[in-house]
Amino acid sequence: MPGLLEAKNLTKRYGSTTALESATFEVHEGVTGLLGPNGAGKSTAIKLFLGLIKPTSGSVAVMGLAPYESVTARTRLGYMPEHETLPTNVSASEFLMHMAQVSGLPPGQARTRAADILRHVGLDEERYRPIGGYSTGMRQRVKLAQALVHDPVLVLLDEPTAGLDPEGREEMLDLVNRTAKEFGISIMLSTHLMGDVERTADRVIVLEGGQVTEQGAVDQYTQETETLIIELEEGREAVLSDLIRRGMKVETKDNFLMVENAGEAEYDAIRDAIADAGARLRRLSPTRHTLTDIFRGERADG
Amino acid sequence: MAELRGEVFDLGYQRYEGPREGRWRTRYAIFENGLRSMLGIGRGGRSKVLPILLVLAAIAPAAVFVIIVSVIGDDDFIPGPSDYYQIVSLVLFLFSAIMAPELLIPDRRDRVLDLYLVRPLTVTDYLVARVAAFFVIALALVYSGQIVLQIGLILTAASPVDFIQENWLDIPRFILSGALIAFFVTIIPVTVAGFMSRRAIATAFVIGLWLIATLFVGALTSGECYEESTTASGGRIQETTACEPIKGEAAKWVALLDLGNVPMHLNEMIFGEEPDQSDNPTLYEVAKLPAIVPILWYALWIVGPASLLWFRYRKVKI
Repeated sequence: MPGLLEAKNLTKRYGSTTALESATFEVHEGVTGLLGPNGAGKSTAIKLFLGLIKPTSGSVAVMGLAPYESVTARTRLGYMPEHETLPTNVSASEFLMHMAQVSGLPPGQARTRAADILRHVGLDEERYRPIGGYSTGMRQRVKLAQALVHDPVLVLLDEPTAGLDPEGREEMLDLVNRTAKEFGISIMLSTHLMGDVERTADRVIVLEGGQVTEQGAVDQYTQETETLIIELEEGREAVLSDLIRRGMKVETKDNFLMVENAGEAEYDAIRDAIADAGARLRRLSPTRHTLTDIFRGERADG
Repeated sequence: MAELRGEVFDLGYQRYEGPREGRWRTRYAIFENGLRSMLGIGRGGRSKVLPILLVLAAIAPAAVFVIIVSVIGDDDFIPGPSDYYQIVSLVLFLFSAIMAPELLIPDRRDRVLDLYLVRPLTVTDYLVARVAAFFVIALALVYSGQIVLQIGLILTAASPVDFIQENWLDIPRFILSGALIAFFVTIIPVTVAGFMSRRAIATAFVIGLWLIATLFVGALTSGECYEESTTASGGRIQETTACEPIKGEAAKWVALLDLGNVPMHLNEMIFGEEPDQSDNPTLYEVAKLPAIVPILWYALWIVGPASLLWFRYRKVKI
């Protein structure tokens, strides 16, 4: 099945600077993380998909259309830029209604869509206030809302959590997840934060120095390990010494016990050790790799 | 009595299945938004004050003339439609200089332009829609005073039917001439706004351009020069002194440089009037040139700035 976005041997050079070098990847339905440090070529890739620039060589397609040949390809795309892009003297309601019409929706439907989307992003109460008085988090929501107001098939989010405090970041990532799972809108999330990709994406494409260095399902990179994590409310020391006595390899990390190479026999032994010590178990689960572990490991290997 | 009960259902996110109207809707949205921005519609109260004042200023001369005629019953001193455009041209230029920056600069400053250009429209669509919005408002201003004047003159005439029969040709003339004036006062301030990042500077630049051109040409063709001299107390004053005006062939060409009169040459031609030297020496001098010259000069002032604006926006980076 062809991807919503396709890049084939995509190269973009600005003079002597190469922003993208023979990049080949596809973005399918769901959430795809475009992960890479600053200068990796993420913004260039977005501009190519939006048809704002032409590739030096190779090809780029948006739902089968060449975006730099016709603006029609943009009718079903949404874009949330990283930088500030909002007017200050109009209300979110007025602005969204306008942007819906700029995307081709008739005025009546534009008004309804603007109200619906603002409610979905949590700006129902504040929608008639001028945007200039909004907090950073609210402005990020308006930016997301304008990208969704015309009901795109796919939305390109450029660093959606930039500038947000931890709470705001959590809320934005929740919104990204809702957009994909509840609204059914596919997402390409461009970010330099692995945590954002882990929290939201099904697939990840890693760009470094303009080249695709990794791509695949996020699960593939964050699958379960054979290490068990045990979290106990009390009796931690007794369980630890019991497990060591049983010949198991146990490490302590923060308040957790980490048991490596855990098989069925080890699960039974842990159960018995906890029961013997009369300890109270809060959590027993296999740990998962994180994208951070993988890339840190690769760089260390390299 | 039956108890009324209501329930609110959250239907969740609804996909949009309605019509998508394509690029004409997109262009119209940008055009309409331009009108609303300039008139302060959908903005705070302060945004509406300046447009209202300027609109009133454009209509006020016509209203005053009509009131005077209706009171004293004599229309001999009332300007004709051609002269009226000259009277209100200052207000029009002022309106353009102040309002044009509002149309383009906030979009670039707030980077809303980035959001427009990732939607199904081109830079050309954007510019045409914005310029059209300004043109429509300028046209409304140009015509509104003229319409008030004409209606007033018809209603206060001894025989309105005779007045219309004698002057009906003025109607297509003021429509054509008004459109040319409106387009001229649109394109230059909008182009200036396309290059400036601050509204006040753009406004000052346009007003300065008009003033300098008018004063410069006026001084050269009228024979009035300004000299600075020092008073006994050490202060500096400007004095108007007589100097040799430019005459002959050179005067005709120099007179073209009076920017404010560029559309007025065409206005005179459309109304078939001979400019009076004492009233407006610039118009008088240019009228001596072949008719094609002021027409081409006008076209150059439209095509030149419009091209500059287009090239400027072609280079806008997102």
